[in-house]
Amino acid sequence: MKISTRGRYSLEALLYLALQPAGSRESTRSIAEHTKISDGYLEQLFIPLKKHGLISGARGIQGGYTLGKKGMNTTVGDILRAVETTLSPVPCVEKSGTCAKERTCIARRTWKKLDQKIEVCIDGINLSDLKQTYDTLSREAAL
Amino acid sequence: MKISTRGRYGIRLLLDMAAQGKDSPVTLASIAGRQNISVPYLEQVAVILRRAGYIRSVKGAAGGYILLRTPAEIGIGEVLNALEGDLSVVDPPLPGEKETPLQRCLRAAVYNKLDKTIHDTLNSLTLETMLCKDDENESAYMYFI
Repeated sequence: MKISTRGRYSLEALLYLALQPAGSRESTRSIAEHTKISDGYLEQLFIPLKKHGLISGARGIQGGYTLGKKGMNTTVGDILRAVETTLSPVPCVEKSGTCAKERTCIARRTWKKLDQKIEVCIDGINLSDLKQTYDTLSREAAL
Repeated sequence: MKISTRGRYGIRLLLDMAAQGKDSPVTLASIAGRQNISVPYLEQVAVILRRAGYIRSVKGAAGGYILLRTPAEIGIGEVLNALEGDLSVVDPPLPGEKETPLQRCLRAAVYNKLDKTIHDTLNSLTLETMLCKDDENESAYMYFI
């Protein structure tokens, strides 16, 4: 039951963007510096994140990355779904037709329930919640 | 975000045994037939479940495995723990490894929450609740057991 490195790094990069002043654009280099993720890896992750509209990039001297159209309302679910191959705990819940026993399998009901709880959990956390947690934690660390 | 094949097959093995009733030993071959899982794989899973105290083997012509606890006493969360080890979505930081403030925030706001959701969901379930219809929408499943 692991979130992949792709998933974790994407969350870190988007949280970093969410912490920047609205409207500012961040270069891959500055994101890399603050997240300690290599720029090469970030560039790779930004392809699906851009495709899903979670971040937008601009070229040029004033260029760089900023959050996409959902802005601070982007959820953890949006981010993980964009970069993870699957979020389902088991293949048979991910898409139907993978198992002949699908209709009659009682185990599948349980996996499905777990799958739904996971979805609800990650769809219920957005970047503005994360920013709030971040601010609270930094205040506590400063005390 | 995966439960491994071992975890899933282990649960199906136990579910199948529970559905057969507990009086006489159930052979892995018969479970293999009903569940469409190979016998060697079931044997591997059965060893773990036996060591963890869920099942016991009975030798002899009418031998096989029997459940050592009632379905109501077998929690899905603990079985998966026995089969898979730690279920957390992100490994804890290694000793001496320092998390960045971003990572600390995500651990508090996302990973710990997800772990709790998974833990609570799985621990609210036992073999018995899995076997009983607990959801009217899906009551049709009952007739297939």
